[in-house]
Amino acid sequence: MSGVKVKELTFRYDKEVVLDHLSFEVNKGEILAILGPNGSGKTTLLKCLNMLLKPKGSFFIDSFDISKFNEKEIAKFVGYVPQIHSLVFPYKVIDVVVSGRTPYLGFSTPTKKDYDHAYNVLNKLGLTHLADKPYTQLSGGQLRLVLIARALVQQPKILLLDEPTSHLDLKNRVLVLKILREITSEGTTIIMSEHDPSLVSIFSDKILLMCNGKIVSYGKAKDVLNRENIAKVYEVNVEIFERNGNRYVFPIVI
Amino acid sequence: MPILLFIIYLSIGKYYISPLSIFNENSIEHTIVFNIRLPRAIEAMLFGACMGISGASLQTILRNPLVSPYILGISSGAAFGAALSIAFFGTGYFFFAQPSAIIWSLIAIFLTFSLSRFRGQYSSISLVLAGIIVSALFSGLLALIQILIEPEKTHTIVAWTIGRLHTVTWKDVATSTPLAILGIFGLFIFRWRIFLLSMGDEEAKSLGIDVEKERILVVFFASIATASVVSVVGIIGWVCLISPHITRFIVGSAPQILLPVSISVGASFMLIADLISRTIWTFEIPVGIITTLVGAPLFLYLMRRAMYEWS
Repeated sequence: MSGVKVKELTFRYDKEVVLDHLSFEVNKGEILAILGPNGSGKTTLLKCLNMLLKPKGSFFIDSFDISKFNEKEIAKFVGYVPQIHSLVFPYKVIDVVVSGRTPYLGFSTPTKKDYDHAYNVLNKLGLTHLADKPYTQLSGGQLRLVLIARALVQQPKILLLDEPTSHLDLKNRVLVLKILREITSEGTTIIMSEHDPSLVSIFSDKILLMCNGKIVSYGKAKDVLNRENIAKVYEVNVEIFERNGNRYVFPIVI
Repeated sequence: MPILLFIIYLSIGKYYISPLSIFNENSIEHTIVFNIRLPRAIEAMLFGACMGISGASLQTILRNPLVSPYILGISSGAAFGAALSIAFFGTGYFFFAQPSAIIWSLIAIFLTFSLSRFRGQYSSISLVLAGIIVSALFSGLLALIQILIEPEKTHTIVAWTIGRLHTVTWKDVATSTPLAILGIFGLFIFRWRIFLLSMGDEEAKSLGIDVEKERILVVFFASIATASVVSVVGIIGWVCLISPHITRFIVGSAPQILLPVSISVGASFMLIADLISRTIWTFEIPVGIITTLVGAPLFLYLMRRAMYEWS
C-alpha cells in the first residue's frame, strides 16, 4: 500500500492520555487536515508522526514501519514544518533551506549539488529573490514558505505541517495552501493541522476532527463538517453553506 | 592575518628584534625569540583559537549570543583546581597547578552535565542553568580556600585567575597543544551539525540528527579546548565572548564559515592584546586585564551594531 497508515496510536504524558487509540489512513498525494479545538492533541499527533515523541501503536509509510527507523532515516521519509520557529541568528535563507539536505549528507557540509537542489525548490516556490536575504528579515508568510522549502528539500514522502496558515493574512493563507496543493501533485502526502473549517474544506481531501485526543469524525468534508459535529467539538452553533462541493462554515453569534 | 601579526609580535617588545636577525643561532635575539617570545606567542594564539571557536560553537548551539565556555563552569573548576594545588604545594609548584586545573575543570563540566539531566534529557536551558550553579559552587570553594591560606598564596591565586602569559614555556605549549588541537578539530568537523543544532531541538531532530548525542559531543570538544589552555594561562576573560562577535561582524552568522574564521580572529585578538600588555607600560600588565579593558567597550560597540541589524 502506498500512503500513510496509522493504527491504534496512543500517547501519554506521564499518566494523562493525550492521544487515545487513533487509527486513520491517507493515500499517496492526498491532503489530510486535522481539525480540533486548542489542546485537542493536534500538535501532539504531528509530533508523534515525526517520532519527536514516541507513541504506542503502529505507523506505516508505504508499508515501512517508521518507529523502527533512526533520526536520519525518518528525515528521508517525513518532513516537518513547525508552527513556531524562533529566530536567533540572521542566517541566509539559502543556508536555512539547504539544511534540508542533511539526511543525505553523511558528516560533510553541503556541496554545490545540494545548493543547486535548494535553489530549484526556492525557484519552484517563487522565492528565488529571497535566497541571500537574512531570514530574520522575512515577513511571516515568507518565513513559512522558507520553512516549507526546507522540508521539501528533504524530499520526504509525507510532509507534516503544524498550522501552516496561523498568523498569516488571507492572501498568504491562500498562497500557502495553493502551494501545498501543488506539492501533492508530485506524489507527496500532506498531513496538516488547521483551524479554519472552510479553508480546510477547499484545500484538503480528508478531514480528521479531533477532541480530547479522540477522533470524533473522519472522512470527506461533506461527511465531517456538519452542524452536529461542529457543535459537539467546538460548542459553537454554525450555519453551513455549500458551493461547488465545498463547505463554508460560519458561526452563529447572537 | 594571524601569521603577519605573529611576525610583528615576535619583533616588538622591550627590545626590537629584526625578523632576519633571529637566524643567527648564537645571537641574543635568537635566544629571546625562541625561548621567550615564541612559546608565548604560540600559547597566546592557541588560547585565542580555542576560545574563539569554543565561544562561537557554544553561542550557536545554545542559541544565545551571551554564552561563553566559562558559563558552563569550566573556568571556575580550573581556578579551584589551581588554587587547591597552590594551597597544598605552595606558590613555587606551578607544575602541579596545571594538571590539577585541567582535572577540576573536567570535573566541573561533568557536574554541569549531570545536574542538567532532567527527565533523562539535556536541554539547552538546563545546561546553562546547571553551568551557573556549578560556577557558583566552585567560586564559593575558591573563596573559602583564599580565606584559609597564607596571604602570599592568595596573591598567587588571584594572579592565576586574572590570567597571564609571561610564565609560558615550551613545556606549557607542549602540554596544552594536543588537547587544544583535538578540541578545535572536533568542533571544526562538527561545524555543519552546530548550524543544525541552532535551529532548535525539534527542528534539528526532524532534519535527521541525533540532537542530544551531538550536542553533548560539541560541548565536550568545546570544554576540552577551553580546559587545555585555561589550565596553563589562567582565566583570561572576554576573548571567548568577543571573538565570535567580531567574527560574526565580519563574515556573518553561518557556522560553517563562522567557526573556522573565529579561530584566526581569536588568535589575532590574543596576539594584539598580549602585545599591548608587554609594551604599553614600563612593567608588564597581565594580559587578562588588557582583554577585559579592550573587550568590554568593543563588545558594547558590536552589540549596538548587532541590535541595529537584527531588529
